[in-house]
Amino acid sequence: MMQKLSRLAVSAEGFVFNPASGDSFQVSATGLRVLNALREGQAEDQIAHSLAETYQVELEDARRDVAEFCAALKSFGLTS
Amino acid sequence: MRPLKIGLSGINAVDNPGPGIGVARSLKEDPDLQVQVVGLAYDAMEPGLFMDWVVDKSFIMPYPSGGGDAFLERLLYIQQHYGLDCVIPNLDAELPHYIKWARTLADRSIQTFLPSMEQFRLRGKDRLVEIADRIELALPETRAVTNLEGLVQAIDDLELPVMVKGSYYKAHRCHTLPEALTRYHELVAEWGYPVIVQEVVSGDELNVVGLGDGAGHHLGLVGIKKLSVTAQGKIWTGVTVRNEAVLEAADRFVRAYQWRGPFEFECMVQGDRVNLIEVNPRFPAWSYFATGVGVNLPARLVRHLFGMPLPALPEYEAGKLFIRYTYELVTDMASFQKAITRGEVP
Amino acid sequence: MKMPYEKPIVTKLQTGWMNKYGRTFAYARKVRTEIDGVGIDDLVGQFGSPLFVYSERTLRRLYRQMHSAFSTRYPNVVFGWSYKTNYLGAICALMHQLGSWAEVVSAMEYQKARALGVPGEKIVFNGPHKPRAALERAVAEGATINVDHLDEIYDLEKVSLQLGRPIHIGLRLNLDAGIYPQWSRFGFNLESGQALEAAKRIKNGGKLRVHGLHCHLGTYLMETAPYQRQVEKLVGFATDLERTFGFALEYLDLGGGFPSKSRLKGVYLPPEVALPSMDEYAETIAQALSKTLPPGEFPRLILEAGRALVDEAGYLIATVGAAKRLADGTRAYVVDAGVNLLFTSYWYKFNIELDREVGGMNEHSVVYGPLCMNIDALDEGVALPPLARGTRLILSPVGAYNQTQSMQFIEYRPAAVLVGERGQVDVIREAEDLSDITRRERVPTRFASPPQTGP
Ligand SMILES: Cc1ncc(COP(=O)(O)O)c(C=O)c1O
Repeated sequence: MMQKLSRLAVSAEGFVFNPASGDSFQVSATGLRVLNALREGQAEDQIAHSLAETYQVELEDARRDVAEFCAALKSFGLTS
Repeated sequence: MRPLKIGLSGINAVDNPGPGIGVARSLKEDPDLQVQVVGLAYDAMEPGLFMDWVVDKSFIMPYPSGGGDAFLERLLYIQQHYGLDCVIPNLDAELPHYIKWARTLADRSIQTFLPSMEQFRLRGKDRLVEIADRIELALPETRAVTNLEGLVQAIDDLELPVMVKGSYYKAHRCHTLPEALTRYHELVAEWGYPVIVQEVVSGDELNVVGLGDGAGHHLGLVGIKKLSVTAQGKIWTGVTVRNEAVLEAADRFVRAYQWRGPFEFECMVQGDRVNLIEVNPRFPAWSYFATGVGVNLPARLVRHLFGMPLPALPEYEAGKLFIRYTYELVTDMASFQKAITRGEVP
Repeated sequence: MKMPYEKPIVTKLQTGWMNKYGRTFAYARKVRTEIDGVGIDDLVGQFGSPLFVYSERTLRRLYRQMHSAFSTRYPNVVFGWSYKTNYLGAICALMHQLGSWAEVVSAMEYQKARALGVPGEKIVFNGPHKPRAALERAVAEGATINVDHLDEIYDLEKVSLQLGRPIHIGLRLNLDAGIYPQWSRFGFNLESGQALEAAKRIKNGGKLRVHGLHCHLGTYLMETAPYQRQVEKLVGFATDLERTFGFALEYLDLGGGFPSKSRLKGVYLPPEVALPSMDEYAETIAQALSKTLPPGEFPRLILEAGRALVDEAGYLIATVGAAKRLADGTRAYVVDAGVNLLFTSYWYKFNIELDREVGGMNEHSVVYGPLCMNIDALDEGVALPPLARGTRLILSPVGAYNQTQSMQFIEYRPAAVLVGERGQVDVIREAEDLSDITRRERVPTRFASPPQTGP
């Protein structure tokens, strides 16, 4: 997962460019946070915990959303 | 005097170009007008966003077809944060919105110079009959269709080949039913209903770009002939012409309807017979051609609108050539990224 | 204090979709927390989801506007409430209270109008299928009958013979008013001479008198000009009838077709700017009438507007049951109402509002209904922020042709309520339950014993 993610160009405003494919993406504020955490190598569960600590969201919902976010990254070919 | 900040749309200078860049260049070329061009874009890939020598500042706009107030709010935001004295909308699909909001915008000191809604509706292909009658031009037979049954019936009536046209944009000459079907589906997918089916009339296609002052006078008319067009039917090379029958018809049009604002007048000329093909209530994509021969209509529009002196109308010469060409721009992602994340460039 | 949460979202930028503000959802999102002052939560809490909600205030406003648009321009106007558009009893009753006659196109609709207390003389009976018994009743009760075809003329002649008196009828015509496709399957064609032939046939039969003309051009007519051509042709034909056969025209029925502010799929402009106002339609029609009718003659003008009077008064509240991501990455939602309730979603793109503010980026989303069929999609491309389960969508306008064409397929049909002008809420159709589905069924006794449990 890490390898592909680390190659992405990610701006502080949530603009993401995949130099390998030429595709561009946009992430929301929390999406940016999750993406950066993934790029640092954090595990999904760890990321969900940190979301639940920072935001008004139940851990269970955060887990589901992070999993969904990762699935989206995968469907866009950003992770393998 | 501080520069006028003039918003304009259609800065999509692509293979089927919007009129915006030509209008922007015209404004910049009037030596006595101080203008900052504000590009109003609908997609982060419109070339104008990247052409900083023509467009000073650009904003991504909500689609006008979304309805509601978002569009208006966005214009007011631009006015507050950057400044906006006037908007010249260049895309058919947004015109009715601007027309509807002209008063509201004027109340907030954003000027427009547009036809009324009633005048705008005249461009409806079924209203062409009325215009043609009133200014004594001929009209090719025309049907507006909203389904396949109608299309087939229209083709039966008019006989192949026929012109198949979108309700806002695009026109295709079709020689076979399958071809017409394909075009029909393309047009519906892009521009919706109705689709216009028109008898093909032969002759020379002559077009006029003009500007009406709203009181029955024109502020400039330039006639051209398209020498070659792209696969999409867009002018590639052209030549100025002075066909009195056509120029007079355009003048009658302005007088009869007290036309206000820019327009494009398309005719098919066959000896003495002038067929009216289309009236577009905005600048055409080749407006810069007129500027290039000395009739700078966008600048005249702005001058008229803001009560500035209007130079005498120059005579233009027939036989001036228009050559469109391609050109490439290489840039980094910064502007694109700004367009995506902030909705404005730079 | 923790920060407010938004779902993490990633979207791919695609040319044509690279607009910060989304295609249909403006950056100001559309939130609707109430309908005429009654909270969406309260409505669903009390009556369940999905739920049809009608606004009495809007119904009255639409009627008033259209009626005054026409009656201030022409002295003899009658509205015939087009039952098929929405024949919920409460809606019909309100229309009748406001002064509408009933316009019906089947024996069922005729019976319904009579059951609601509408006298025969205030019913316009149209449609291609009028069974003999229905015709007999309509004649006996003095209804206005617009004949669709020759066989109906034969039937009516027999009825006339039975009664021993002549019967007054109207002829339904179809004509070229510049509308494609022409609705040529109803009535007699004008241009081909079919209509004149029919009149001749009627005259020769000696039992029927033509006293009115009817023509319904189609639905959702986006221009006023076809009505002008329609009036010119109808009045022209009426003049011929009078001159040739001595039939005097008492009424002109122009049908319906006036658009509502719904958004036809594939039409680029939103209805507020794409459509002429009701005053413009009225003006066109009134002018055409005054140009063509002999001075001082004002035959009754019947209008059968359907969608224009009810569409905008109807909402459907639906609830998000699931959020999913399709294989290609597209965001999709499953809601509890689909094409079973919103048949017109094949042609119209509804306005979708949310019952609450939702943070986060808009995504290109698909909204599916609950049916087990691929075609059950309410919207295949709408920009929505990430929606949690339980979020309510308020779809509008849905007042025309949805209630009447809704189908009971694997789901119950929901309740319909009317919000009154003072905020009172009346149930005007109860939600269905199993008894509605089984009540008319008969299971032969030999199948009566239920399957046994166990192997
Ligand atoms: C005979 C007749 N009258 C009236 C209507 C109502 O039409 P609308 O809802 O377009 O006004 C219809 C609709 O099909 C119709 O068939």
